[in-house]
Amino acid sequence: MVTREDVENIALLSKLFVPEEELDGLTKSMQEIIDFADAINNAPASDEGFDNINNLSNVFREDEVIESYPSTEILKNAPEQAEDHFLVRNRE
Amino acid sequence: MKYELVSGFETHIELSTKTKIFCGCTTQFGGEPNTHCCPVCIGLPGTLPVLNREVVRFAIKAGLAVHGEIAEVAKMDRKNYCYPDLSKAYQISQLYAPLIIGGYVELSNGRKIRLHHIHIEEDAGKLIHQHGDTYVDYNRGGVPLIEIVSEPDIRSIDEAKEYVEKLQQVMRYVGISDCKMQEGSMRCDVNVSVRPEGSEELGTRTEIKNMNSINNIAKAMEYEYDRQVDLIESGGQVVQETLRYDDATGTTSSMRSKEDAHDYRYFRDPDLVTINVSREEVEQLRSELPELPADKCKRYIDELGLPEKDAQLLTKYRKISEYFDEACEGVKSPKSVSNFIIGQIFRRTETEADKESFDVKTSPKQLNELVKLLDSGKIRNNLAKSTLEKMLDSGKGALDFISESDMGGIDENALIELCKNAVESNPKAVEDFKNGKEKAIKALVGNVMKNSRGKADAVLAESKIKEMIG
Amino acid sequence: MGSIAKIHDMLTSKQCSCAELTKSYLEEIEKSNGELNAYVSVTGAEALKTAEAVDKKIAAGEEIGMLEGVPMTLKDNISTKGIETTCCSKILTGYKPIYDASVWELLQAQNAVMLGKTNMDEFAMGSSCETSYFGGAANPFNTDHVAGGSSGGVASAVGGNIAAYGLGSDTGGSIRQPASFCGVVGLKPTYGSVSRYGLIAYASSLDQIGPITKSVEDASIVFDAISKRDKRDSTSVGSKKTTFDSLDNDIKGMKIGIAREYLDGVRDDVKEAVLNAAEVYKSLGAEIVYFDLPILKFALPVYYIIACAEASSNLGRYDGIRYGYKTEHYNGTHDMICRTRSEGFGDEVKRRILLGTYVLSAGYYDAYYKKAQNLRGTIISAFNSALENCDVILAPTVPMTAFEKGHAVSDPVETYLTDICTVPVNIAGLPGVSIPCGFNSNGMPIGMQLIGKSFGEAEILNAAYKYQQAQSDKFIDTKWGVKL
Repeated sequence: MVTREDVENIALLSKLFVPEEELDGLTKSMQEIIDFADAINNAPASDEGFDNINNLSNVFREDEVIESYPSTEILKNAPEQAEDHFLVRNRE
Repeated sequence: MKYELVSGFETHIELSTKTKIFCGCTTQFGGEPNTHCCPVCIGLPGTLPVLNREVVRFAIKAGLAVHGEIAEVAKMDRKNYCYPDLSKAYQISQLYAPLIIGGYVELSNGRKIRLHHIHIEEDAGKLIHQHGDTYVDYNRGGVPLIEIVSEPDIRSIDEAKEYVEKLQQVMRYVGISDCKMQEGSMRCDVNVSVRPEGSEELGTRTEIKNMNSINNIAKAMEYEYDRQVDLIESGGQVVQETLRYDDATGTTSSMRSKEDAHDYRYFRDPDLVTINVSREEVEQLRSELPELPADKCKRYIDELGLPEKDAQLLTKYRKISEYFDEACEGVKSPKSVSNFIIGQIFRRTETEADKESFDVKTSPKQLNELVKLLDSGKIRNNLAKSTLEKMLDSGKGALDFISESDMGGIDENALIELCKNAVESNPKAVEDFKNGKEKAIKALVGNVMKNSRGKADAVLAESKIKEMIG
Repeated sequence: MGSIAKIHDMLTSKQCSCAELTKSYLEEIEKSNGELNAYVSVTGAEALKTAEAVDKKIAAGEEIGMLEGVPMTLKDNISTKGIETTCCSKILTGYKPIYDASVWELLQAQNAVMLGKTNMDEFAMGSSCETSYFGGAANPFNTDHVAGGSSGGVASAVGGNIAAYGLGSDTGGSIRQPASFCGVVGLKPTYGSVSRYGLIAYASSLDQIGPITKSVEDASIVFDAISKRDKRDSTSVGSKKTTFDSLDNDIKGMKIGIAREYLDGVRDDVKEAVLNAAEVYKSLGAEIVYFDLPILKFALPVYYIIACAEASSNLGRYDGIRYGYKTEHYNGTHDMICRTRSEGFGDEVKRRILLGTYVLSAGYYDAYYKKAQNLRGTIISAFNSALENCDVILAPTVPMTAFEKGHAVSDPVETYLTDICTVPVNIAGLPGVSIPCGFNSNGMPIGMQLIGKSFGEAEILNAAYKYQQAQSDKFIDTKWGVKL
């Protein structure tokens, strides 16, 4: 059972606001999707396991410095910046 | 009722690889804000991590240094939480298959603090709060860390301090980190609980986050111990929570706010592949490890015959012990080398930082030459001492200060001759000594020293004179 | 001959200059994009600049590569330095990447002429292109119908002849499904054969970039150009061999498998078209073998659990601090982040983030995410054994043809079912190509899918090519765009 509290909790974890009036509808819709996902409970038990597609291992880089980007580039898309920092004003 | 302190540590140590864990940006401390950054470490959409091989190697070395078991298969997981210092809203870390399992740190009282595991992960960026606004700098974001998670085996504040010092010492020896707590390259989360003495059960614990000095760790633990004991004594219950320690007030306070729901939703990072560690590689890395401080200390005591105190001082920092080892090469008396280092060189490296860097003008080889002159009897101890001071001032070798004529002249016969002269030319002093004025002998020895231009052995001279007039 | 070869011939034989060709594409975009809504941004100036460079090479008598000067497009989730890349989401409006995706680097090195970025479902989440912040792309066969999704813009542009080819991305069918709906060819490569570096992630273990083209030959040319190992993508492998040289290989004796489960619940007209294709293959000397793949019925829930779990994590970074949209009014950092995300993401994206968060959260991880991962292993083994008994698998691409606009929005679960034939390939990491195999009574295209062994692109493109060659007289083009 997906409860309103579940939805409130996962919304908080997801950093999303769910308006009070939408909570019931969303709970119901989540329940439907979860019911659909629950189909996997009927799947045959298996210990097949899954690591990664193509079973790759030990893909590394060498410890060699690559020049960083200038801070102007790094900050280029920042909605707000100040003194070469990304800026989050407390209040607006 | 008496209460026992129970504590476990989560220690974060920044690895001193050249580059970050998943991109080629430098790990250098400081730098202008957001200049050690690239699309990967600021988490631009579409970027992907590629693991730095050296991080794995450093972590394995750390694991070997604390007797951990190196996993054959390790994997990277995502730890999801949203905070402005975390550019991807998840930290790439390890939960389900960490690189190192188990291990321990042995304390001087013989107790072993067991380790649960050690994993590798990325550091977060830095936030500066000013007038309620938040400034974000991602230079530190993506710097590689190991997190050493201990079992709750620590039973006193002294043990806690020693545990941190031991970790710091051994990791510096291995050369994987500078472990500078003041720069944040070593930080501890301290779990504290209390229980009635004799009880086997664990009490509810609190976690004091991000401690960055050993002093504060001690103060915070003391405060937290008292707080928990008072709470229980007054009929209350300890609440499991995360705390911050306020240095100014010396108190801890809760970090929880209604905004932080903590559920990290760990899952395997699909952008990274499995790490397989061959046993050959582990052995290769083991062979690259230096002699570890505990082993060194034991060797200094057992094989070189040093007092325990000396052995501990000399092994505290890797550079000192290496200096000592080199200066000892082929000398008859390692104790004299130890005396010169602890007695004289340490006066010039007063702070711990100085001792750690051990930047001394006189090379270990130069000290070795000086000690060999002493060993061979060519010079006496007091000349060696004064010469070392000059060497330390100038960086020059012993032979720059000791001439041929200073060396070698005083064999036993010559000394006897000098003593005879002293006795004959100072009848007053001889008389005084015979009448019980012990001090009068000093005048006779002084005469010998004067006439030998300081090359005579004063102790030997005194005994010769006593034989003559005694 | 495919469009790419045709354009290559036109350029090298100097029938037209690259600049002229590019201009005619840009003019056609101008004319038809209002209705097709395939492009969300057009980069005419950059396109003409590249075209002129190509013309200079041709004038200087230099040889040019197959893709050189060929006008194309990229789905708007492939990062292009300095060119807005939005994933068709409000939350990325204004975002101009400071680096290029690896595939775009490869194509730029070949002087590909990019006309612009194309429409998609927001963050590639959807099967109709209608979750796009810019509104959905229309189907070039009938603009009342959807182009499909999520790479609807690329499929619409290629089907509408306002790009010679394009690159899309396929997480659960996002290349093959719109290709099927728009009557074009769409190849979802083996996981790892094309670098994901620069592809804005939806679900990292399922996403692959691949070509949407007018013909199998074109798909082969583009795939060969982009399937390179990339050291910036740890999961990248590259391709084992090129596909172009084996396109025309004889398929006599090739074993083509049909899993009965793939035909369950498929609309009759689609089923008939696929079975007709099987007959065509028989006439070409291939052998058709039927088999069962019962595990397939779990593929869809497994897909949604894994995809949403990964998405919930991948999309955590859109917080209004480093790039993209930021809310106007807020109180404190937490409030700013929540408002930015709530205002910046559309409903479908939010729904998938919530579902993903749910299946990873404490108490549910084992029952959903872990179980789904185990089943993923089972599905992979089932495909591997099936592909031991046949060379390629033939299946419908979508159980239906392109539906009318507005239809998808009503019921999420029903909409998820449109992905039923495409998701298994993503779960198993296998290659799959969708090619047109007929039209329904309303004149909407039907697509069929050929699924191959891991890194078996050469085999499925060979089979697809032979089919297309045999059926070339049945090809119907749309009324739109540049006629070569």
